Amino acid sequence: MRRFTPALILVVLGAALIINFWPNLTLPGMGPEGESRVVETKLGLDLVGGLQVEYQALPAGGKSPDAAAMATTKQIVENRVNSTGVVEPIVQTQGSDRIVVELPGVNDPDPIRKLLGQTGRLDFIPLPVERYGSGANPGPNAAAQGQPLPTEEVPLFSGDQVDQAFASTDSNGARAVGFRLKSEGGQLFGDYTTNNVGNFFAIVLDGFVVSAPVIQSAITGGEGIITGGTGGFSATEMNNLITVLSYGSLPYPLQEIGFQTIGATLAGFSLDRIILAGLIAIALIFVFMLVYYRLPGLVACLALMYYALVVLAIFRLIPVTLTVAGIAGFVLSMGMAVDANVLIFERMKEELRGGKSLPAAMEAGFNRAWNSILDSNVSSLITASILYVFGSPTIRGFALVLIIGILVSMFTAITVTRTMLRYIVPKEWARKPRLYGLSEEEFVGARGRVVVRGEARSRA
Amino acid sequence: MRDIVGKRNWYFALSLALTIPGIIFILLGPLTGGQAGLQFSIDYTGGTKWEIRFDDVSVTPDQVKAVLAAEGYGDSTVQTTANDFLLIRTEPIGFVDTLALSSPSPAPSAGASAAPSGSPAPSGSAAPSGTPAPSASAGTSPAPSGSAAPTPVVATPGPSFPASLPPASFVPPTPAPPGQVTRTGEIGVLAAALEDELGPIESQRQLTTIGPVISAELTQQAMILVLIGSIGILLWMTFRFRDFRFGATALVALLHDVIVVVGAFAILGTLFGLEVDGLFVTAMLTIIGFSVHDTIVVYDRIRENRSRHAGERFSSIVNHSILQTVARSINTSLVVTLALLALFLFGGDSIRPFILALLIGIISGTYSSIFNAAPLLTVWEEWEARRKERANPGRPVRRASA
Repeated sequence: MRRFTPALILVVLGAALIINFWPNLTLPGMGPEGESRVVETKLGLDLVGGLQVEYQALPAGGKSPDAAAMATTKQIVENRVNSTGVVEPIVQTQGSDRIVVELPGVNDPDPIRKLLGQTGRLDFIPLPVERYGSGANPGPNAAAQGQPLPTEEVPLFSGDQVDQAFASTDSNGARAVGFRLKSEGGQLFGDYTTNNVGNFFAIVLDGFVVSAPVIQSAITGGEGIITGGTGGFSATEMNNLITVLSYGSLPYPLQEIGFQTIGATLAGFSLDRIILAGLIAIALIFVFMLVYYRLPGLVACLALMYYALVVLAIFRLIPVTLTVAGIAGFVLSMGMAVDANVLIFERMKEELRGGKSLPAAMEAGFNRAWNSILDSNVSSLITASILYVFGSPTIRGFALVLIIGILVSMFTAITVTRTMLRYIVPKEWARKPRLYGLSEEEFVGARGRVVVRGEARSRA
Repeated sequence: MRDIVGKRNWYFALSLALTIPGIIFILLGPLTGGQAGLQFSIDYTGGTKWEIRFDDVSVTPDQVKAVLAAEGYGDSTVQTTANDFLLIRTEPIGFVDTLALSSPSPAPSAGASAAPSGSPAPSGSAAPSGTPAPSASAGTSPAPSGSAAPTPVVATPGPSFPASLPPASFVPPTPAPPGQVTRTGEIGVLAAALEDELGPIESQRQLTTIGPVISAELTQQAMILVLIGSIGILLWMTFRFRDFRFGATALVALLHDVIVVVGAFAILGTLFGLEVDGLFVTAMLTIIGFSVHDTIVVYDRIRENRSRHAGERFSSIVNHSILQTVARSINTSLVVTLALLALFLFGGDSIRPFILALLIGIISGTYSSIFNAAPLLTVWEEWEARRKERANPGRPVRRASA
């Protein structure tokens, strides 16, 4: 196993370098819909600017939303978001009844918020001839567009029976909307239209009439079109109706419970600041390690750079969306990664003072510190997992960064550092007490084992 | 050799001195109805945070406040932030009420719906959809054709279809140039009112509104998460050290850190208005996870020394273990503190309270690991030893009756 460790370390490093620096690297079939995905560092809304809206699905008909309903809702909201053309939207479910939508780059949120939160309960309602008359002979009531139906009618079926809606043309070549129903809806619609040719039929969204066409013929195949009057629909009208028919029906109404817009200027400013702060923080860690632990400190710094490369590569692969808090978490995890090295090196110093030879002290340092490192990392993993499971998206981002950081640090701070030290320690030049922050006297063990000639003594 | 365990009561006293003022300030919160004590951000209270800059940078917070009050948002605060921006906080405004969204928009044949259902003969204009004549294109053949050209069977008589939808609802919004002020909804009205009085608003940094639903949950959630985290640590420590006392004393040290941080925020909140925000609970759990590191290292060493120097007094083993690990504890905390300090100074306003909480927590965590956790373990151990001795002073036979 030990023989292969250096190779493993190099392979991981190579992979990390490729993932981080290869321009326009794409992963085939890794996107959300199985398409190729470009590997890139994803930044959160607070670093690029944009809109975040949080919705709660409200109970309807005495039932609370279940997981399946939430999945449907998420899908519908995603479709609506995609229809707006916003680049890289994120739609997530959260908890039992929440949907969180993040739209980078959107600064004027109101239109999009109106679109997303629409309940969109779509009903296909027959208008009985007694109350509404027929196309040729209108009755006492009328279904007016944009108005509720004047009388209460029973829906034949709902929007979930719409299989597909698409652009079409009527016989004059004017724009129309074609639709295909699922088998149940198609059956119902077929039966009804067969018996009610010439009568009115209403398509109602959220209780308001979208369209109240006259049934021109029996629609038995589950397929038909809605024509747009003499001139046909305008392009916008047609697209709107298609959107309503395709994505109209949410199983439960959504209520907006929070939103946030962040200007791009502020976001850019935040990004500059957190990167600067992170670099300063990392520099401070490096300086401390070099000054205090000398040669092992240098090795720890190299391991830390390795750590940073690997963690960044994992962030880009998964991908993890980095927020200000997430980057802070990354810097914090570097501090924790160093924790393991400090633990090992302190133990190593102790063993050296206790009279062990350098290689033996090093191995003892790693072995004895292992328990503490494992225990403390597990305790951090426990709390980070709790945050990840129960937290809001921002908190989850931070927790995920921390979890990845802790896991990677177990590898880099121990395996990578140890492999490097094993390579360095037997070298003649590496056997000077000063390189370990120790005095000549404390280094007695090392001197006893290794042939150190008079020169080292005279220097001391 | 320093005797930390021997002077433990002094260190316990110092911990009390650190925590008691904090607890008092925490309790001041509920007693004063939130005037003193912890100051919660809108993440917890619900509300709107809106950061804008006027063309005229000499506009004062008081001027803005006056306009807000005139618009009916009397209970608002306005303060200047970096680069002449003004930060406005009010009750939640600008929610899109999705349930009321589909409110009737002006429809061409609005009169029709007003006709009572009993009314037998509506006027011609109130006939269904205004224009009874179906579109001329309506086909009559029921035979289903190919999917490319489905049979036209229904016609929409009405002229203006989109009137039935909320305006702009399905129009793809063109992303506005970054930094532009929100012009629609309640916020738009407010922006217009501000501009009428104080001149154009030059840019908007952020707009956040949090409703009462999120905020009510957050407080509860925070407490539950801290509780679950603490229990998790207790179980893990008890499991790893095969000794409940190790878990329990580590937990006490943790709670010490939690109280110190929350107390510090209560004091700073009362004095300087420092707010507890949505990331605070994250900081708490990170502290819980991280500050136990030091405790674990000391306990590991105690376990090791105990088997190596069996027979020595427990308190002396503990003291020895603390001294052996103190350099490491301080050094790792120093590394993390340095990193956090850099983030605190240069990382920007949005995470400053978060980083401050971490800083306080990690420093407190190091203290409590060295000076509270292990000494407490000694107290417990000695107390149990004394109790055993009292119960059966050299006569194990009497144990059952004791």
